Amino acid sequence: MAPTPLTPKVLLVALAFLFFFLTPAHAKPSYGGSIVLTSTSDPKSFNDITAKETSTREVTSHIFEGLTTMNAVTLQVEPALAERWEVSEDGHTWTFYLRPGVKWNDGEPFTADDVVFTFNDLIYNDDIASSSRDIFTIEDKTFKVEKVDDLTVRFTLPVKFAPFLRAMSQAILPKHKLAKAVAEKKFNFTWGLDTPPSEIVGTGAFKLSSYRPGERFVLVRNPLYWKRSKEGDALPYLDRIVYLIVQNLDTAMLKFLDGEVDYIGLRGMEYPLIKPNERKGNFTVYDAGPDFGSSFVVFNQNTGVNPKTQKPFVDPVKSKWFLDINFRRAVAHAIDKNKMMEILMNGFGYPQDSDMSKSAGVFYNPNVEKYDYDLLKAKKILADAGYIDRNGDGWIEDPEEHTVEFNFSTNSGNNERVQIASIIRHDLQSLGMKVNFLSLEFNTLVTKLNSTFDWDAIVLGLTGGIEPHFGKNVWHSTGGLHMWYPMQKTPATDWEKRIDEIFIQGVQELDENKRKVLYDEFQVIVSQQLPLIYTVLNSDLYAIRNRFGNLKPTSYAGPFHNMEEIYINK
Amino acid sequence: MKNRAWSQFCENRWAVAGLIILGIIHAAALFADFLAPYSFSNEERTYSYAPPSKIHFRDEQGSLVPPFVYGAEIKFDEYRRRIYQDKADEKYPLSFFVQGDKYKILGLVPTTIHLFGVKEPGRIYLWGADSRGRDLFSRLLHGARISLSIGILGVAISFSIGLLVGGIAGYYGGKTDDIIMRICEMFMMFPGFYLLLALRAVVPPNFNSIQVYLAIVVILSFIGWASLARVIRGMCLSLREREFVLAAKTMGLSDLRIIIRHILPHTLSYSLIAVMLSIPGYILAESSLSLIGLGIQDPYASWGNLLAEAMGIVQIKFAPWILLPGFFIFITVMCFNVVGDALRDVLDPKTSQ
Repeated sequence: MAPTPLTPKVLLVALAFLFFFLTPAHAKPSYGGSIVLTSTSDPKSFNDITAKETSTREVTSHIFEGLTTMNAVTLQVEPALAERWEVSEDGHTWTFYLRPGVKWNDGEPFTADDVVFTFNDLIYNDDIASSSRDIFTIEDKTFKVEKVDDLTVRFTLPVKFAPFLRAMSQAILPKHKLAKAVAEKKFNFTWGLDTPPSEIVGTGAFKLSSYRPGERFVLVRNPLYWKRSKEGDALPYLDRIVYLIVQNLDTAMLKFLDGEVDYIGLRGMEYPLIKPNERKGNFTVYDAGPDFGSSFVVFNQNTGVNPKTQKPFVDPVKSKWFLDINFRRAVAHAIDKNKMMEILMNGFGYPQDSDMSKSAGVFYNPNVEKYDYDLLKAKKILADAGYIDRNGDGWIEDPEEHTVEFNFSTNSGNNERVQIASIIRHDLQSLGMKVNFLSLEFNTLVTKLNSTFDWDAIVLGLTGGIEPHFGKNVWHSTGGLHMWYPMQKTPATDWEKRIDEIFIQGVQELDENKRKVLYDEFQVIVSQQLPLIYTVLNSDLYAIRNRFGNLKPTSYAGPFHNMEEIYINK
Repeated sequence: MKNRAWSQFCENRWAVAGLIILGIIHAAALFADFLAPYSFSNEERTYSYAPPSKIHFRDEQGSLVPPFVYGAEIKFDEYRRRIYQDKADEKYPLSFFVQGDKYKILGLVPTTIHLFGVKEPGRIYLWGADSRGRDLFSRLLHGARISLSIGILGVAISFSIGLLVGGIAGYYGGKTDDIIMRICEMFMMFPGFYLLLALRAVVPPNFNSIQVYLAIVVILSFIGWASLARVIRGMCLSLREREFVLAAKTMGLSDLRIIIRHILPHTLSYSLIAVMLSIPGYILAESSLSLIGLGIQDPYASWGNLLAEAMGIVQIKFAPWILLPGFFIFITVMCFNVVGDALRDVLDPKTSQ
């Protein structure tokens, strides 16, 4: 056969193939190398059970694993230390079959004893200040955790518990290392910062190698790690993760621009500073979409009476306004979300209308009541509800002739939140409300929210997730974080009663579609009743050096949730 | 004697310059409402971080016209940097004695006349705008009121306390002296800034801005009086042995009268110097409290909370004009120090000999 002449088309295909193979994304993963990250504060310990701070979790998340894990891309539960699981007909009994051959990084085998120990001796131990105990307690009842054989564990739940599989990402700790400390009642102080790194034993892809306070901590590859890549390579690829401890985000940003660190989390505000250096600094800025979490205005609707002084927590005059849905609706129309996103986030933001973030996947309900920024509409709602300027002093008065004046706070130190509050304050003022703004220290604010209850209106934020039930503490009327009227004996309003019902039904409904209907209704109720008046959400932006392969940055778990799969392009 | 001191003071050029600058800044603060084109809370969010307005004296053809500014359009470029473009078809002539935000001259006469300005919807930003499009020039002038008056009020209160307490301790001596001095030492023992934070924490959170302002003044005076009391007490210890005090005693004057009328005036030259040199301390203390968000609250302006906006590299890089309040704090503090030093050279007999 005569050789085919090289037509342009063939050439194009040939070239395409060439580029296809040259693209680093398809390069073969290779071993070795390290990644340098930053942390703005020291870990407080290496004890995952008692850890409450993100700085501690940052380290322990690489060292420990749970029975299940959440795929950060699909937001589905996937097997981790458990290979598979079964649930009984009635939804009360869950049996987990553990992955055979998994070893702790000191060489000891991982067995059902470790799982039973983690739950029965650590999480359910009254002497231990466990941060995840609440999740595994339903109506004051704990789960029964038993070993069936070395690789099988059975959980018996008092009721049906829909988020159970998600909750089972709870880190499992080694019995052989910790049983002694628990017996001696020393567990709360075990695995502190002075522990030799070799003592901290996990099953995760990395293990602690060294820690120098205020300077850095280093994690190295766990050669005994069980997980294999699709190609059959033993994971992880990276040799080392180095965390530099820096003073603040600005320092981290400068270190990133200097090339000292490989990654930095950004906000829209910093984008113009970082983005122009993309080529020179050989990095890419990824936009992972809306942040989890929320930022909102909340009015104090507490009608309780201070048991010590016999006075109401909130002045009854003010209470009347805050309980008035028209008042809250008017405020919702006075939130200039577009300008907030433009000024504070350089356009990298999302207006928030619902408790669930857009990134939350299935449980996010886009069809809730939305409030556009319209001061005239807000004024009209107020006037129709009887709030008008009756004496010509420029401030509006309620029907009983009280000037609408209240205190408005947020926590100092969070510049973005202070700015959001200031913008809202300015607009409320132009509606004729006399608003006294004061930023308070975070702890002072928290004391007001959960013990003294002497506040009027606050701008605050909460962290969120994809499982609505984990917000029960906020939404159930008995919850401690039910900020507008916490720890109620019986729900004060009908809509709070309905939300209570939804949360009780939702957690027992194992059919995801039926759950969604319930939580959709909840989001609609919240948007109509406005206990929290939402503002705006940041986009999660990540700037990552261009030398890594297998990056799958997501808003849910950040850029390095699959750290074991990430490798360095050669 | 007074004239000699004054001419001696005038020989120090730095001090005279300092005094003039202080005079100008204080006068500007006093007439801030009139001099500033906008009130401190007048915001226009479209003009976020607008750079200082260019004032044009020539039109497109290059012929001389009355000064005007262009209306601006704000866009984000590909890197989301703010780009301000003049709109050629929107010209706002700069005029003097224009109508603007309502205010009261010296808190008495209501009016709306401002020294200069442009017609709405035009905006003039002599020194640029802050994040919410508020005029930095106007806010600096209004902030000067708070920052400078905190210095003066705070010093006035703490020196009244300091003089009186120091005078009593020095005049009576003995047990009274001991007790008062131990109390003073207790106050001086605490690190100032932490005492400031602790006292700030006990201010009731439902205070409005004016009350917070007064509370800060009181807190600052509360911290500042003790060191002065100690020095005054030392001076009084020697003064009370002097003949004129004895004379006053024999004439049957009351103790308080002797302290106030006869002893304290002799400490005046020292006090004057100390006042000059400690005002900067009050200005700085207010600024640092406001800088961390616990002092004067938005929308009210003080140099400290204006500077708080300039805490990130992003802001400093893209809107360097928001560092101006820091420059003003620096200049003012320096002027007070230079003037205070010069006063000491002139008035304090020990160093001038």
